[in-house]
Amino acid sequence: MKKSKKSETGFGSKISIFSKINRLFHKLPLEKKEFVLLEIFIGIFLLMSIISPGRFLSWYNLQSMAYQFPEFGMLALAMMVVIITGGINLSITYNATLASIIGAVVLVKMNEMGAAPLLTVIIGVAVIILTSMACGALNGFIVAGIGITPMLATLGTMTLFEGISLNITKGGAISGFPLMFQWFGNSSVLGIPVPMLLFIIVIAATYFILQRSRFGAAVYMIGCNPRATRFSGINVRKTLFLLYIYSGLLTGIAGLVMASRYNSAKESYGYSYLLQSVAAAVLGGTEISGGFGKVFGTVVSVLILQVISSGLNIFGVNRFITDVVMGGILIIVLTINFVNNKREEKALITKKIVTA
Amino acid sequence: MAQKMLLKMQNVSKTFPGVKALKDINIEIEYGEIHALIGENGAGKSTLIKILSGVYQPDEGAEIYIEGTLQDTITPLDSLKNGIAVIYQDFSLFPNLSVAENIAMALRVEKTSPMVSWKETNRVAKQALGKLGLKIPLSTTLAELSVAKQQLVAIARALVNDAKLIVMDEPTSSLSRSEVESLFSIIRNLKNQGISILFISHKLDELFAISDRFSILRDGKYIGTFSEDELDDDRLISLMVGRKIEYTVFKKRKIDDIIFEAKHLSKEGNFKDISFSLSRGEIVGLTGLVGAGRSELAQAIFGLDPFDSGELFLNGKQIQIDSPEHAVQNGISYIPENRLTEGLILKKPMDENICITILPKISDKRGLIIQEKKNQLVDTWINKMQIRPKIPQMIASKLSGGNQQRVVLSKWLATDPKILIVDEPTNGIDIGAKADIHKLLRNLAENGMGIIVISSELPEVLAIADRVLVMRRGRIAASFHGEDLTQEDIMNQAL
Amino acid sequence: MFSYIKKSKEMGILLILIVISVIISLFNSSFLTIGNLLDVVKSNIVLGMMAMGMLLVLLTGGIDVSVASIVAAVTVIIGRFMVDVSSNIFLIFLVGCLSGSLMGMINGLLIAKLKIPPIVATLGTMSVIFGLMLYLTNGTWITGIPQNFIDFGQITVGTFSIPGSEKTMGIPIQFFFFVFAALLTWFMLKYTVIGRGIYAIGGNKESAERIGMNADKINIFIYTYEGFLIGLAAVVHTSIMRQVDPNAFIGFELQVIAAVVLGGASVLGGYGTVFGTILGVSLFCVINNGLILMHIPVYWQKIVVGIVLISSISFDVIQKRMKEKKNVRVDIDEEASVSSRRSGAAGKADTAKLEQKA
Repeated sequence: MKKSKKSETGFGSKISIFSKINRLFHKLPLEKKEFVLLEIFIGIFLLMSIISPGRFLSWYNLQSMAYQFPEFGMLALAMMVVIITGGINLSITYNATLASIIGAVVLVKMNEMGAAPLLTVIIGVAVIILTSMACGALNGFIVAGIGITPMLATLGTMTLFEGISLNITKGGAISGFPLMFQWFGNSSVLGIPVPMLLFIIVIAATYFILQRSRFGAAVYMIGCNPRATRFSGINVRKTLFLLYIYSGLLTGIAGLVMASRYNSAKESYGYSYLLQSVAAAVLGGTEISGGFGKVFGTVVSVLILQVISSGLNIFGVNRFITDVVMGGILIIVLTINFVNNKREEKALITKKIVTA
Repeated sequence: MAQKMLLKMQNVSKTFPGVKALKDINIEIEYGEIHALIGENGAGKSTLIKILSGVYQPDEGAEIYIEGTLQDTITPLDSLKNGIAVIYQDFSLFPNLSVAENIAMALRVEKTSPMVSWKETNRVAKQALGKLGLKIPLSTTLAELSVAKQQLVAIARALVNDAKLIVMDEPTSSLSRSEVESLFSIIRNLKNQGISILFISHKLDELFAISDRFSILRDGKYIGTFSEDELDDDRLISLMVGRKIEYTVFKKRKIDDIIFEAKHLSKEGNFKDISFSLSRGEIVGLTGLVGAGRSELAQAIFGLDPFDSGELFLNGKQIQIDSPEHAVQNGISYIPENRLTEGLILKKPMDENICITILPKISDKRGLIIQEKKNQLVDTWINKMQIRPKIPQMIASKLSGGNQQRVVLSKWLATDPKILIVDEPTNGIDIGAKADIHKLLRNLAENGMGIIVISSELPEVLAIADRVLVMRRGRIAASFHGEDLTQEDIMNQAL
Repeated sequence: MFSYIKKSKEMGILLILIVISVIISLFNSSFLTIGNLLDVVKSNIVLGMMAMGMLLVLLTGGIDVSVASIVAAVTVIIGRFMVDVSSNIFLIFLVGCLSGSLMGMINGLLIAKLKIPPIVATLGTMSVIFGLMLYLTNGTWITGIPQNFIDFGQITVGTFSIPGSEKTMGIPIQFFFFVFAALLTWFMLKYTVIGRGIYAIGGNKESAERIGMNADKINIFIYTYEGFLIGLAAVVHTSIMRQVDPNAFIGFELQVIAAVVLGGASVLGGYGTVFGTILGVSLFCVINNGLILMHIPVYWQKIVVGIVLISSISFDVIQKRMKEKKNVRVDIDEEASVSSRRSGAAGKADTAKLEQKA
């Protein structure tokens, strides 16, 4: 791919191994922006490892990160797919917790009635998934069917989902699941944590749906110009409706993992991920006005944000400072983008003059 | 001499990075004159307006005199203060504000006071509307007015600044015939008040009807200024394009192999009782004035805005079309007039634009796109339509107008339509490319496609159509067939 | 008159407000008592003041999700200021308004100068401000507010006797700050060039710039002004609560946005009024209060607010679409008799030129 100035990371050029890795990555089929993101991720990862090899690179820390970030990642992808259409989904976290709460009610009731644990878990999970998709369908109906601006539509459903959740939980947390349910959040298969496994499946599915399928092609086009897309014989409403259902489904899986990890369901779980997921999508190159954004970028951004927050946590940095750093990164990256765009524009103009 | 002239532009040039957009323009506008500025797309008209209005600065050496005074530099505010008001095609109004505010807004910005006087606002607006002899309630929100009325508000706004010169960029493009008439009487009224008008239009009949003098631009160069009696249609056109337009006139065919039929289509406020048929391999020209309901009819047939009543038949079988999706499934394609907003997705590359209509064709059973198939198809169309440059990843917005049109055509031809409806296929592209597109359409027809060409350009319709339908006020007024059809015959029905 | 009511969005909201109020008072007679209404007003003053700022932002088509973090940060700043530095009320207000304005201005600069989309820019500042504030306070409450400030907060104006009890109540002083914020905003929007410029930019940014308006400047002004109101609201909030809880405002930004939108403002910009926003805030708090009085579990509030929000906007959108459908695009010839007119060669050359394009 394009040769980017690797010295830009400042830190990489001093380490020979890094430059080798760097060269290796240049061979990957990545775009420049994605490559920069990957470099930032590796840079931060190495930085953390060098500062605190004992603790950051410890098996324990890596494991715990692997359990933590999948739920965030799934929510970020749920957010990203909607941003690509030029919308936003403010209801993702309550969509996730409402689904898990309704699932939790079923799990607890069946557990109390003494139903077989396996059956209970299967039905409970099915309820979570179906509820999340139903919530997504409601969003889709309001946005695509009625035609309300996504921000307001999901602001409304967000409040609605929160209200329904609170009504069920009465403000507390629901617990008392069959032991088997903990598998989704706390076990591992062949050493890979189950949440991680689920996340990998979600990444793959989203990648194929968004970037490889004809459905995804339509989604990107809608994000750029819904009118021209409709003129091209594509059913814009149906596409949007289905996409919101998919966004709901992803939140449902995140809700499943959260409920299992915390062994309870509560409406406020994961609330802080709402705005972080917008940040992750934007950092990953998703354009807030729609039409552009990739799974890879968002996932790497999630990793970057996770490594930073874990790393800072390990160094004993106050968790609130982590928030400051996250916000700072968001603003700085966008500022850099702005400056770069300006510079590119200028370069383009001078180039034109030269050729003329 | 200089006193007599309201505006005098001498040696005005403008260079953009890599392009010389204007070269040594010399135009003089008298007091109380209606002056037409004419040129093809890309001739430099809009650049010239933008220099006048202060949006662009001309190159060194240009001299612009307003009422005899040489202007150093012109900023948008200077331009307003000097009495030059530009009414852009989009009017530059505020849909959410009242008529009075729209009229008085610019005046407020100009005054240094940070406060707003509503009394003054209403007075100013009333006065301006009065000058035009108009009665529009001052408190009405602009968005509630018709396009024609909004335009009048825009003109009233120009008068507020004591405009001495009002520049109108394509003012009639979205007006009905009667609205154009009343606009013209207002323009003449302004002229009598000593205000000059610089009138920009494509429509030659309108220019002849209203203008005193004509200045012609071609390829950024000044060709000359002529008075009305020095010019006629042919002369004007040849001055504009530098040569006489001669379309290749194709032989008219009489085909009777009906593939598509519309019966009694009606849609309230759009068209009424439309019946016509289309044969395999036939090109039907659908013409009429702007606002006669041509595009509305086409978009209804394509399912974008379904009709209220009526029936469609394809190969003798009745079909239902409720959405563009259905239309495509039935082999009907519609290429919209506005390529930039409706035909293309400008921010996306050429290959994705071409493939968007045929996504099912290039994907497998699971719905995944097969890259080889996609690339192959795109290559085929790039070669077939001779799109330049041959780079599938080229972003659509970076292509030239002609190539954009080719991409739009490819996108729709790729669906292998039985019926193709093209809306103003050669709007805004240069003559050479026009001839190519005519040839292409003819070829497609000869290979069995039924084509409806919607066009306002009568020579184009006469050149390529086997049969001509004329629409007037939402109805089909006449259907013509034959070699000896003339523009007069069509116009008599269109008016 | 009736047509005006039908046309005006505000009247519709007022009607809903009245209907809901009537229903609530039918169920619970204590709703329409002075005591209750004063309570409702007092507990929603901060929301109302912040809604005024948000209105301006929405009018230009922007959005600000950092408002909750700014108001929380200002409460902490003035809390520390009055405990550690000075309990001078004037100085407290000055510090509050200045710090709020400054934070707002940072948003404005990011949006106007660096062209960062408002939602992303304010997301970033929200994260930074909340993080810094919680780090510095460690989430602990600030108590020990000076007595003179507490006394200030308890000033009331006028007295209303409460039927059936010895107590009397007055209008809390905080209410006048809300009135001040609303009047100031209303005046600014209606009678200043910058206020009309806000509407103009929301209606058509390009046109506004063409007539010489500076959209960047106006944007910076809006966010700064919003910050100023938020700073004021923070002082008012502290005077009501008499302590500072750094976590008090988490999630508050969406309530503010919801209230303004309920009041008829469009998130796409250009539409919205101070009066409508007051109605929106009122609707928001009457629903909440009514549910409490009707002994409906507090959890239902969110559901009701969500449904009201969605249905009121849906109603708007559907109405607009119906209107668009009725738009006449072609002036149809109702009794056309095909090709009977002007079949002669009238007009000739003149008409032939029509529509001819080159």
